[in-house]
Amino acid sequence: MGEERALTGLRVLDLANNIAGSYCGKLLADFGAEVIKVEPPKEGNPLRKKAPFWKDEQDKEKSGTFFYLNTNKKSLTLDITKQEGAEVFKKLVKDSDVVIEDFEPGKMKEWGLGYDELKKENPKLIMTSITWFGQDGPYKDFKANNFTAYGIGGAMYVMRPTRWPDTRPAVLGGYQAEYTAGLIAYIVTMAALISPKEEGKWIDLSVMEAVTSTLTGIMADYSYLGLSRRTLPWAIHGFPTQENYPCKDGYVNLTPGIGGTQAIADLIEKPEERENPLLVKAGARVKEPEKFEALILPWLKEHTKWEITEKAQKLRLAFAPILSPGELPDDPQIKAREFFVKTEHPEMKEVTYPGAPAKLSESPWKEGRAPLLGEHTQEVLGSIGLSENDIKGLQEKGIV
Amino acid sequence: MAYKILEGIRVVDLTTVYAGPMGTRILADLGAEIIKIESPKRPDLFTRMTAYPDNEPPEKENWNAGGYFHLLNAGKKGISLDLSTDKGKEIFKKLVKMSDIVMENFSPRVMDNLGLGYEELKKVKPDIVMVSMSGLGHYGPLRDYYMYMTGMEGMSGLTYITGHPDQPPLLSNYAYGDWMLGVTGAAAALTALYYRKKTGKGQYIDVAGREAIVIHIGDVIMDYTLNGRVKERSGNANPAMAPHECYRCKGEDSWINIAVENEQQWQALCKLMGKEELKDDPKFSTMEARVKNRDELNKIIEEWTSQHDHLELMEKLQKEGIPSGAVLSMKEVHLNPHLIQRGFFEVIDHGKDVGKRPIGKQMPAKFVGLESYIPSRAPRFAEHNEYVFCELLGMSKEELKKLEDEKVIGTVPRFPPGRPTRLDLIEKQAGKGAGYVDPNYLEELRKVFGEDIAKK
Repeated sequence: MGEERALTGLRVLDLANNIAGSYCGKLLADFGAEVIKVEPPKEGNPLRKKAPFWKDEQDKEKSGTFFYLNTNKKSLTLDITKQEGAEVFKKLVKDSDVVIEDFEPGKMKEWGLGYDELKKENPKLIMTSITWFGQDGPYKDFKANNFTAYGIGGAMYVMRPTRWPDTRPAVLGGYQAEYTAGLIAYIVTMAALISPKEEGKWIDLSVMEAVTSTLTGIMADYSYLGLSRRTLPWAIHGFPTQENYPCKDGYVNLTPGIGGTQAIADLIEKPEERENPLLVKAGARVKEPEKFEALILPWLKEHTKWEITEKAQKLRLAFAPILSPGELPDDPQIKAREFFVKTEHPEMKEVTYPGAPAKLSESPWKEGRAPLLGEHTQEVLGSIGLSENDIKGLQEKGIV
Repeated sequence: MAYKILEGIRVVDLTTVYAGPMGTRILADLGAEIIKIESPKRPDLFTRMTAYPDNEPPEKENWNAGGYFHLLNAGKKGISLDLSTDKGKEIFKKLVKMSDIVMENFSPRVMDNLGLGYEELKKVKPDIVMVSMSGLGHYGPLRDYYMYMTGMEGMSGLTYITGHPDQPPLLSNYAYGDWMLGVTGAAAALTALYYRKKTGKGQYIDVAGREAIVIHIGDVIMDYTLNGRVKERSGNANPAMAPHECYRCKGEDSWINIAVENEQQWQALCKLMGKEELKDDPKFSTMEARVKNRDELNKIIEEWTSQHDHLELMEKLQKEGIPSGAVLSMKEVHLNPHLIQRGFFEVIDHGKDVGKRPIGKQMPAKFVGLESYIPSRAPRFAEHNEYVFCELLGMSKEELKKLEDEKVIGTVPRFPPGRPTRLDLIEKQAGKGAGYVDPNYLEELRKVFGEDIAKK
């Protein structure tokens, strides 16, 4: 018996083809659940085709995206779209606690694997279904991806610089709509597992709604004020709170915080400017942002983002450097917290990636690698009593 | 029967402003009992004073009317307690003793300085789960940096890769980093509760907002750790997909996202645009060619989209199976037929000065076949003092009165006069306007959510 981890003892069947569901499964696996990635035979999960690839070698075992989203999982190949495959899947469901799936609404039912069917096998089953728009509603069958879901969720409209609010909206980097949905899926799945109400549940999560929920407080802009913002309003949050300005080696964010804008005079070595209305009065800055910029930009351009940040923080200004993904591994705080982890992979050798979402003192997150395609097929099918001959038979039919 | 999946779980909530309250709001939506503690000297100021209903701060108790507070704190109970007093600390520990989770987002030194760090709370309640949420984490050389959402996002790598190449890096303008921190805190708390369910053990959890964001760009980071490549800002361009852009539509500031994943969708798009000749144009006939010639392609497509209404165009594109999404404004989010039919907004009555308003879910997932649990309105300041101190902790009304006299608790927070939001300045920001004010928003909301919206 291994050590008791946060989620040891949980068994999860992960059918997800996209990021959200795979990420939910990853969190479960990284905290100790046995998560079985169920992949189509031969080509495997579609994320295996997604860049970045190790040394740019396009190979199903070398996708960084697949690796990152499937750490600590097992891989079983099984064609659940064929009846025999579906029967095997149902046997697995008997011994599992959670199914994660992200097929279009109705697909699972078409294969005889709808929630009502699966519940017959296991009355306590939690099935977490993640779709772009949910299991019902007028957009149910709409096509989407991270980019379009982010726009219709309402987040994109506000993604414009405060100085140029009429420019073309820009999507938040990476795949935030999908990761957001994956995190929510993890929370609701965990809630269902903790719940004193121990009957099975079918969870219906829409990526669009996940995006909308991240808008939180500013939803009240409309229902209380009639306001639809298209960037950050200075009149609510202050200027230059959300602004990133160029400096010697990149950009730095200027959020004054409790130090107060007057402290900026000390920062830029012009104490005589402490009473300059541009530093004393928010209204003056808002009226003439270019004058405020003229005051600070020359000094910023002579200093690096870390020089500026260190000095500003001593003045209790909440300035911060804009760090690139490549600068993170060398960040002193990241290092001290051992945030990046390393793990061995048979094809990709040593892989470094970002680690724990949170530090749990008693049942910590753990690193691990992604499985090779079908690596655990024998083990998993053996665990539900299939003999080597049975498995061979399924292999010949292309089911596994 | 409304379904409270976390029924019986009690959370002591010390969080303020944005990040922490989002985390506990998610747990509230799942039916946990959240007891939000505020100091009468330092109430949850920013959200309580932002977005007064119809931009009119009420004359009395203006601290109870802020729209941001209502959204972030729906479903919670509210009490007042001054933790800097000995009596306040003693009562707090009694409350911890009968709770499952403590969540806080003070600066890293505060709880220890108060003598209420995890080691102390563990003595009172050995299996307590304590979640500390901060910008950069509770240990490490930069732990005492002053951090807001801006710093957490800026230091995560996410900002660096967001925005157009010819503009500065772009932060989320809706506190996404705060959402990440609070919601990761909630996720960690539930993970610990599951462990406690099996082993009986509690624990301490340290969540750093910056780290919570970094893990959401894992694939981008991997390109660096595997290949040494640093991703640069590329607006809405996608290295593997074109068209993949936000296109201007007919009408003021109206946009649609279109992202074509394969040849079938591309051909359908050409047909819909009435430009079938593009299919065979070598500049656009393969995904690779389209990615390479995306600027030229985008111009052609935008010429077409700018003649159409974004919502109508989305319907047309979807009919042909082309992934597309109108870029919805906050007004359009509230009036969106899909969100409305799915029950994303819950109409919650906030009583006097406010009336009924649609409040978005913070836990958008639904349990199929079970009636959604609709959270109660956000608490008024100190509203549940009597419930918590008398009913839960067994104090008498006299004791409660004495605590009030000793200023350990209070019903009136230290609070500035209410001020309306300067919508006039917002409409003029940077010469272009930071947003649109819809004077008819109440009528619009009433058409969708019922005639009694905002009847005070």
